Amino acid sequence: MVPLDDVQGLILRSYGMDCAALFLLRVQDPAAARRTLGSLPVTAGTLWQEKPAFCVNVAFTIQGLAALGVSPASLNSFPQDFAAGAFSRCAEVGDIGPCSAENWDYGLGQPGLHALVLLFAQSPDVREAQTALLRQTLVSSGAWSEVATLPGDVLPGNVAHFGYRDGFSQPTVDCGLENPFPDKQPVAPAGEFLLGYPSQFDQFSYPVPVPDELGRNGSFMVLRILEQDCAAFDALLNQSEQRYGIEGELLAAKIMGRWRNGTPLSISPSSDSPVPPLATSDLNQYDYVPSDAIPDAFNDHRGVRCPIGAHMRRANPRGSTIAGDGGSRHRIVRRGIPYGPPYDSSKPNDGIKRGLLGLFIGVSIKDQFEFLMSEWMNGSTFAPGIYGTTDPILGNSAEGENTFVIPRDNSTPLVISHFPRLITTRGSAYTFLPSITGLRFIANLP
Amino acid sequence: MNIVQSPLTLIMTIKSPDDFAQLSGLLTKIQSAPPEQNPIWVALTKLKTVHFARFVFLANNTQLAVITTYDGDFDKYINDFIDTIGDVFNALLAHMQGAPPLPVQQNRDAFLAYVKQNDLRGLDPFYSAYPQASVVTILDALNQG
Repeated sequence: MVPLDDVQGLILRSYGMDCAALFLLRVQDPAAARRTLGSLPVTAGTLWQEKPAFCVNVAFTIQGLAALGVSPASLNSFPQDFAAGAFSRCAEVGDIGPCSAENWDYGLGQPGLHALVLLFAQSPDVREAQTALLRQTLVSSGAWSEVATLPGDVLPGNVAHFGYRDGFSQPTVDCGLENPFPDKQPVAPAGEFLLGYPSQFDQFSYPVPVPDELGRNGSFMVLRILEQDCAAFDALLNQSEQRYGIEGELLAAKIMGRWRNGTPLSISPSSDSPVPPLATSDLNQYDYVPSDAIPDAFNDHRGVRCPIGAHMRRANPRGSTIAGDGGSRHRIVRRGIPYGPPYDSSKPNDGIKRGLLGLFIGVSIKDQFEFLMSEWMNGSTFAPGIYGTTDPILGNSAEGENTFVIPRDNSTPLVISHFPRLITTRGSAYTFLPSITGLRFIANLP
Repeated sequence: MNIVQSPLTLIMTIKSPDDFAQLSGLLTKIQSAPPEQNPIWVALTKLKTVHFARFVFLANNTQLAVITTYDGDFDKYINDFIDTIGDVFNALLAHMQGAPPLPVQQNRDAFLAYVKQNDLRGLDPFYSAYPQASVVTILDALNQG
């Protein structure tokens, strides 16, 4: 049994809050910094009677653990991917060209970040009030210095910056919590997302960093600051009909694998408003090919409904035929919130930065986040028909341009070359989310 | 040119003539079974990263070679590989000198290190008639995906 009260809540569920602030911190005074950890109101995974006004979680880089006084023996027991840090794993992730670490903001391109304190709030007022309190506790006391504080806000209509509704598909973790968007994919064992339990791999549990108090019930989280080029996306859709002979809204759906309102192409290939309408709880009940769980699924092995290279089919191929047969063994928990105001198409070059503060959680950064980025987002040999292409949303290429292939019924595929880069990595960090016990352990270090 | 396939030339040293006899019996039994009952066949069919695979006894039956042509990065797919075909390697490695700790499922890093240490690969360049075609691409083109 997973002790929900000992696990940071963010790992196992989405809080569904409209505002966030991410504090990027450095240890200033180790003893004082440890003391502040003991007083932070950290949110655990325990079920709520009533939704709180705000939630707080905290994560550390390897440099942060060291600065707080965690012993060398303990630091050496953490996995190499986490210890290396995001800035030295750009090749694995595909952060090349303008996405490479040397171009990252907030100093994230070098070791320097120690901790992330994540504040989620129900309203801007609550965020402001709690931000002030957190600053007082953490920074004014001289314990920590503030590298940056990044606000995030849910956009009107609950969409991300390119206008897609998001967050439907999350793994269902075997921990006693329900998935708000149930699916028929295999339930993920707790050890796929928490240290100390059997993992998704046969007879295998990931080693728990020592001491057990620090490592058990912890997890790893990758922060990604992903700047979105809304003007380029807008232009792509506006010119789509004329340049490629495909209606802009359909192109948007082909890129993602869902219509922008969330309706999956696999269920409704020609309209975002199928009749009868889909219930919200049905938005995640599909597969790309007939499977044991969904035997009557349309056999879309060629991608005529949902392209094989569509973002969400790459990110989670479900029952599709893929190299390695590991479609359900490289899942990640996705949390995130947009930053920047909504894009106004009448002011395409307003100079305002917009994007996503993405948080990607799993028990192994290498086998989940990095595998997904290198093999499925930026790779092109794991599935048929996409050779030489990368993901249309997140993919990267040395040339900065991509190719997107849209298979069609009874016709040759539509191949869109010179597909523009839509997202640029502005920063990343590999962090460890200790359990509540682990946080207490750090707070009490001598 | 970027070639999606890679060679594996894994040379494992057999512990003793007795171990060779047992291995030979085991492989004969496995390989003579119909494909759907041959665990190697079943596993590789699921895995879809291996184009061809064969076993050869070498050096007067003191070594066993596993020779394959596979797609992608072996390290990246090590977990999927072990989950699909780990038990076959448990059976083979029990007869090998310098084998990693078993079962491989519980000793994944050690198994990967063993394979890397004993993989002779081949002299470059590695020739491929179809450098851009992975197993999944070929099966799809043949309508067998």
